[in-house]
Parts: sequence; structure tokens; C-alpha cells
Amino acid sequence: MIDAEDRVLLDETVRAALADNEAGNASHNTIDALLKQLDWLDLLDADPLDAIEIVFRALGHFNAPSTAMDDVLSAALDIRPVADVAVLVPPFASWEPAGRIDLKQEIDARGLATSRSDTAKDLLVVCGTAEAPRLARVGMSEATSERIVGVDPGANLRAIIVSTRATEVSDLDPQKWERTIAWGRLAAAYEISGAARAMLEMACSHALERHQFGHPIAGFQALRHRLAEALVAIEALDATLVSARHESTPLTAALAKAQATRSIREVTRHCQQVLAGVGFTTEHPFHRFLKRTMVLEGVFGSADEILLEVGQRVLAQRLAPTLIDL
Amino acid sequence: MPLSFSDSPTFGPPPLDLAEYRSQLNSWLDGHHLELSANYEAPGTLGEHVAQMQRVKSLLWHGGWMQCGWPEQVGGRGGSPLMRTELGAAIAARDYADPGLFSLIEVLAPTVIEYAPAELAAEMIPLLLSGAEMWCQGFSEPGAGSDLASLACRATPKDGDSETTSTWLINGQKVWTSLAQYSERCVLLTRTGTPESRHRGITAFFVDMNTPGISVAPLEMMNGEREFAEVFFDDVQVPAERIFGGVNGGWSVAMSILPYERSSCFWQRIGYLYNRLQRLVEVAPDHDRAAEVIGIAYAELHALRSRSRVTQHKLEQEGTLGADTSIDKVLVASAEQTVYDAARKLLPGMIEIDDTPQGESWRLEYLYSRSTTIYGGTSEIQRDIIAKRLLNLGDPK
Repeated sequence: MIDAEDRVLLDETVRAALADNEAGNASHNTIDALLKQLDWLDLLDADPLDAIEIVFRALGHFNAPSTAMDDVLSAALDIRPVADVAVLVPPFASWEPAGRIDLKQEIDARGLATSRSDTAKDLLVVCGTAEAPRLARVGMSEATSERIVGVDPGANLRAIIVSTRATEVSDLDPQKWERTIAWGRLAAAYEISGAARAMLEMACSHALERHQFGHPIAGFQALRHRLAEALVAIEALDATLVSARHESTPLTAALAKAQATRSIREVTRHCQQVLAGVGFTTEHPFHRFLKRTMVLEGVFGSADEILLEVGQRVLAQRLAPTLIDL
Repeated sequence: MPLSFSDSPTFGPPPLDLAEYRSQLNSWLDGHHLELSANYEAPGTLGEHVAQMQRVKSLLWHGGWMQCGWPEQVGGRGGSPLMRTELGAAIAARDYADPGLFSLIEVLAPTVIEYAPAELAAEMIPLLLSGAEMWCQGFSEPGAGSDLASLACRATPKDGDSETTSTWLINGQKVWTSLAQYSERCVLLTRTGTPESRHRGITAFFVDMNTPGISVAPLEMMNGEREFAEVFFDDVQVPAERIFGGVNGGWSVAMSILPYERSSCFWQRIGYLYNRLQRLVEVAPDHDRAAEVIGIAYAELHALRSRSRVTQHKLEQEGTLGADTSIDKVLVASAEQTVYDAARKLLPGMIEIDDTPQGESWRLEYLYSRSTTIYGGTSEIQRDIIAKRLLNLGDPK
């Protein structure tokens, strides 16, 4: 573990670097280069969860595009992350392995990838089932890739279809696939948390600056309560993220990701209402955060899918255990 | 009949490690399950709940568990206050005592330890912990609910002035005083300054409830229980040495209650809510709509427990808690309602028209859960505090 002091320093360094580079307007190349300078990969290797927390919170806070998710997933799969290998993410709102593979190693896969896939030589594709996953490597030139515009073109996602013979296939330890889902979920949840705090800051400053009826609108209880609710939602999310570190299991990571969805929906709803007209225009940065988090919600499943599965499991076992102790 | 604390054996310090404490505690509780279990038919009356709790406290006291996490000077065994939290949560999770009743210890004892003269605290705390006594908290008044600092129940010097009098006279009324009719003592807030002095003119007293001039009128809640009461004070004489925190120093006494009310009490309540969700999943139908409802309730409880854990550790490290516990209060209130709303959705008719003991239990608790956004500071007051103190939005218009 990185000690607390180093952690604060690192967090400040990452944030300062992102702030200096106007990260929200920068390209993913700029941010990736910046992360490289900050030794992100060494950090990810030494202390993955700390690294993910610090970097993804900061990315979320600045609405910064990057391809760091490829590094996280690669590391979780136990493959050294490198710039010319991208990782296929399961389709939106799901976390089943993205590909099917037959006995002749013919792969049929659909999913999402970051913009790293534009320049990557290879693509890592997890195939099969969660119980018996297999890890395949295919040439990126064998895959078709289409740029996704969607609600947030800045999310830099690609729709990938792979239908080819794998160059390399091996059995994947199911626990490594579980870990990949968990780390992907935590990365997305930290990014959402960072974005949520940024949105709340925007809404609070607006409420203090904007005057109506001769007063800052921050004085009106209807708006104060919305902003307070937004903070409650963010603190609930951050607490589940602490639990996901304290009791590091697939379930606590799943619940953290589900909470990210639940919280961000509250936060965007309240902050949008407080920002009112200006928050509905592209002149205000709020919309970019809103749209980014809409996309992040679906990465490895949102609350809608995760909590259905969790509920099914609780009912099947007829057990609702506590997951953390003091 | 609870045993007297004085015939209890003495115990050494508890294990230092919390996990070790938890495991020893759980095996002791396993071994005493029959003795500790309630001996009335569910749901039971409030009187039965209170008697059961006192019986459980007495058994725990004689087993040496009640003393863990309390200072030696007041009859405790020392150790981390988190042990108290663990104990209360285990009692709630095993349904040995109602967590709302049991966790009142946490509301009152820390304040008595902090503000009472050392001898008084040493005499009184074992009475509370061992189940020999119940205490109550006389804060709210008909005209002072959310706006506690406007309270009016008057305390005046009986002879001389506030510096010299040996006795004070208390006149006025309190309301929502939980369990006043069962209580031997009361931590009471009174007005000693001018009516406009607000929080600067409040004095706290530790009052014996059998003092002449005190009358208690329980109020019936909408679930049929009489948990709280109106308490009337008519020339009630209280010795000056029963003042906590000095004359006009009562506000800080009132505020000192919050950290424990919002940390260990909540942790106990959360254990109880998991117990109720567990009961629900044992009988809920097994289809996707039910799974969704259960999934959401389970997630909400996990988020609440996660938050409460962070808060407990903050209290242990920093020794105090501030406005951020308002967040815990908002979360605990809505999670409790979510659990009972889930029961109402998944067990149609159980709460509305089922007259079996099971139906009665769910009904009683469902109705009680409607109060969670009201008691202990309404959710609106919590949001006001969050907006002003945590978001720095300035004063409301």
C-alpha cells in the first residue's frame, strides 16, 4: 500500500497535471501521455486499487478522456498493459465474456473498446462463459471497428465486431475474469464519483452566484435540499467504494458500481435542476459530465442489471448477509 | 427482576483486538441463546420489550460483556467503544432486544460520563448498563421540536441566585420523551436564561424521575405502542450538583449526545434492518420483480452500513463527530423505509389485513418505520445542516 502522505501527494499531482492541461478539452492522446509521465503503469502494477482510485477519480473530476481502462483490464487479466494492445469490453450494460469461441478457435465477439483500438496491433478478447472463460488475442486488423458517436462522442468508444481465428488462446482462471469485471466496475465507479463531485461543485457555485428575487438562489430551501441530497448520494457512493477496498470481493465491487448508478442519477437530477437554464446549454460544462456518466453507467452493468442479479442470488439462497464488519 | 450490579463479579480488560472480541462474544451468545431469547410471543408489548431488554442487559452484565468499551472509572472494563457497537449490533441481529431501546445506552451514558461529577457517574452508569435502571432524554417540547434552542421548560434558583442556590425549581413540559414511564432518571434540558437567549441560556439537569412534581402521560403512537410520553414538571426540586455542564452550559451537553446517537446507535439499527431483510427474503416470492425490489433494498443497506462503518472509525480516530453525521441520519431513515416498503410490496396483505402474529409484527414495524424521517432531527433539518455546514451555502433566505 502507498502510505497516506504519498497518496495525497500523488492525488494532487495527477489533478494538477490534468488541470494544467485543461483535461476536459484535451484529446485522449494528451491525457494518456500525461498519465505515462506520471508513471501510472508502475503505480498500477505496484498498487492497482490505489492507482485506479486516484487516477479514475481525477479523470472523472476533469471529464478527461483516456484509454486507461485498457490498462486496468489488461492488468486484471494478468497481461502487462502496453499501448498497442486494447481490451474488448463486454457490450453496454452487460458483463458476460464478449466472445464465443469454437473448437477451431474461430471467434465471434461483439463489444466495446476505447480509442486505443484505433492504433493497437492486438485486441484481447475474453470468450466462453464466466465459469470457464478463455482469453484470446486477435489482430486488430481482423476486427471491424466503428466509431460511436452516441450521447457522448468524447467518451471515444468503438463498436467492435470480431469474427476470425484467434492467433493465441488460453484458458483464463475464472477468478481473473471476476477480478477484471470488479476492477472495470471500480474504475467506472471512481470516475463517476469524481464527475459527481465536479457536478455538485458547479451547482453549488451557480447557486451562490445566481441572484433572483434579490437573493442568491442558494438561500432557497427547495434548492438547498436538492444540493444536500446530491451530497448524501455522493457520500453513499464513496462509502461503498471504501467497503469495496476493505472487503475486496466481486460482490462489494458490484454493489459499488450499482451505487454509482443510483447516486449519479440523483446527483445529475438535482444539479441539473439547480443549474436550470444554463445547465441545459452547451455553454455550461455540466452537460459533458452528465453525458460521460450516462456512458460510464453501462460499463460492466448499471444498477438496473446488477441489482436484479444480486436480488436473484439473495432470493435463490434465501440469505441477505452483511458484507462488512467494523 | 434484574440482578443488582453490586453482586456482579469483576472482569479484567477485554481482548484488545476487535475481531477476537467479536468471535468470543458470538460464541458466548451462541452458548446462552435460550436464556437470552425473548420469552413472550411475538410481537409482544412494549412493556415486554422493555423487560426483555433489561433482562438481556443483566445477563450480559453478569457475563462481563456489557462492561466492554466503557471506562474503568464507571465500572467498565475499558477497551475500544467499538466493542459496545459490536455488542449492540449482535443483540439486534439476534433479535434479543429491540435496538431502539437497547441503543438508548449510547444516547445517554457517554454524556453522563463526560458531564457528571466523577462519583455520580461511577454510581449511576452501572445501574444503566446492568439493566437495573432505564433513563430517558427530556429535550423536545410542544413548542421546541426541530428548533430545539427555543425550549421553554424553566429552571429557577429556589433560594439565592444561580451561583448560590443549592436547589433548583423546574416547571414546564417535555414531549416525545421515549420510555419516560419506565425511566428512573432523565437528562433534562431547561431554560435558565432569558426567553430570547436560545442556546446560550440552556442548562442540563440529571433528574430522578421519582422526584415529587413529575408526572408522565404516555402518548399512543400510530402503531399502538406507547413508546414516548409527555412529561410535566410542577415545582420539581433538583439539587444544584445535578447540573451537567454548568449553568447555561446545557447546549454543549445536548450536542455531545449526537456523535454516539449517530454512530453506534445506527450500527445497531443497521444490524436489525439486515435481520428484517433476512426475514423478508426467507418468505418473499421468487420472481424477477421481487428480485429487483430485494436487490435495491440490499444495496441501500450495504451503502448505509458502509457509510456507518466509515463514521465509526472516524469517531474512534478523531474522538468526535460533526455535521457530517447528518448524512448518516438521512441514509438510515430512508434505508429503513425502503426495507419495510419492500416487505409491503412483496408480501401483499401482510401489513394491511393479516392478523397472525407475523402480520402484527410486520405491521407494527412498518408503521414505526414511517417515523424514521421525523425522529432524532427530521430529514429536512438534516438537509438544512448539510447545506449550511457541509456545502457552505450560507444562511437560508
